[in-house]
Amino acid sequence: MQVISGALQKNQEGIKPIAMPADFDNKTLTRFVIAIALKRDKQAFTSLFKFFAPKIKRVAATRFNNSEQVNEVLQETMAIVWRKAHLFNIDKGAVTTWVYTIMRNVSFDMLRKVQANKEDNLSDDIWPLAERNIGEGEIFADHLAKKHMLTCLEQLPQNQQMVVKGFYFLEMSQEQLARQLDLPLGTIKSRLRLALSKLKLQLGDDNDQASS
Amino acid sequence: MIRHHPKETLLKAFAGGELAASLSAAIAIHVDMCPLCQEKTAAITREQAMKSFGREALSADINSSGVDSCQQAETDYDDMIQVIVADEQIAPVPLRIPKKITLHGQEFTLPQAIANLQLGKFRHLGKLSRARLLLGEGPIHTSLLHLQPGGSVPEHTHKGYELTLLLAGEFHDEQGSYVPGDFMMLDGRHTHTPVSEQGCLCYTVVSDALHFTQGINKLLNPIAALIY
Repeated sequence: MQVISGALQKNQEGIKPIAMPADFDNKTLTRFVIAIALKRDKQAFTSLFKFFAPKIKRVAATRFNNSEQVNEVLQETMAIVWRKAHLFNIDKGAVTTWVYTIMRNVSFDMLRKVQANKEDNLSDDIWPLAERNIGEGEIFADHLAKKHMLTCLEQLPQNQQMVVKGFYFLEMSQEQLARQLDLPLGTIKSRLRLALSKLKLQLGDDNDQASS
Repeated sequence: MIRHHPKETLLKAFAGGELAASLSAAIAIHVDMCPLCQEKTAAITREQAMKSFGREALSADINSSGVDSCQQAETDYDDMIQVIVADEQIAPVPLRIPKKITLHGQEFTLPQAIANLQLGKFRHLGKLSRARLLLGEGPIHTSLLHLQPGGSVPEHTHKGYELTLLLAGEFHDEQGSYVPGDFMMLDGRHTHTPVSEQGCLCYTVVSDALHFTQGINKLLNPIAALIY
C-alpha cells in the first residue's frame, strides 16, 4: 500500500498544509496499533483517530441519516480500537481492514437496535474479531477468564507488561518485539522470563498443566 | 463436499453488514464451514475496506470538505478522543463457550453465530421438530428444524424465500442430496420435497408462509405453521 505520495508531494512543492487528515501507509498504521496495545499510547491513538474519523463518518453517513448516530458509530468504533488493540492480529491483514470490520460490526448492532429493537450485539458472534488459532490461544483465553490474568498483568512493571502483551496478545515473536521496542533481544527475553515467573506466582500453582 | 454456496451478491452484502441478522448468521455459519467462501469473503472485505477507507476515499474527503468544516471537526474529535482514552481497561480475549442442545437423545453443538440467540421451545409434529430463534424480524422467521430418520416435509413452494442451511446429518430432494454446510436459497419458482433417511438438523429462514402444492397437504395448516 502506497498511500503517502499525494499529500507529501504537495507539501514538498511548498503548498501550505491545510487541516486535513494526515496520510499513513499500513506500516505506520500498524505501528500505531501496536503502540496502543503495548503502551496505551495516546499520541498514537490520536493519529489513528484523526486518520480514520473522516472516513468512518463518510461511510456511516450512507447508513444513518442523523449526525448523532454517525458520531455514535465513530465513537464506538474508535473506542473498540482503543480497548481491543491487543487483539489485532498483525499477520492477518491490514489495519484498514481491521478498522473497517469494527465499523461494520458497530453499524450492524446499531441498525439492529433501531430496526428490530434488539440490543443483543450479535456482530461479535457473526464476525468474530479476535480470530486466533484454537489450542494455545484457547488455553490462554481460559486463563484470562478464570484467573484474572489481566489484573495480574496490570500489576507488573510497565516494561515487563509491554513484553508480555506483545508476546501473547499480539503474537509477536521476541525478535519482532525487540525491533518494535528498539531493545536488544536479550533484554526482551529476560523481561519475559521475569514477568512470567511473577505471573505464575500470582496465578498460583494449579495452572501447571496448562503451561506445560 | 459442500456444493451449494451463497451467491456472490449475498457474500458482498454479508461482508458489508447489509443483511438482516437471520441471513447474516446463515452466511457466517456457511463461511465458517466452507474454506472457499471464507477466502472469497476475506477478499471481498479487504476490497470493501480499501474502497471505503483507502486512497480513493481519502481524495474524496479532501474534495468534499472545506477547511472550515475540518477545523470544526478537529475540536469535536479532541473531546471524543479524551473520552475514549480515559478508559484504562483493555478488553479481555472473548471466551467462546459452545452451546449444546439435545433432541431425541442426540446432542448437537450449535454454531458460534447463533450460540447466543434466544431459542424457543421445540414443538413436534410427527418426525418434524421446530424451535424458533427469536430475532425479532417480523415476518422473517428463523428456526432450527429437525427431521428424525425417515422424516420429510411435504412438497411445498413459497411466496417469499426459504433458506435452508444443513447443520448436521443429511437430506435429499428432487435436486439432489445435501451435506452439512450446504446453503440452499429457494424462492417461489421452486417446489421441493425434502426427505431425510438418517435424520438432520437445519437452520432455516423463511420470509413468508409456505404453500403446500399437493392434495391433502394443502389443508395441513399445522405443518405450514410449524415450518414457517
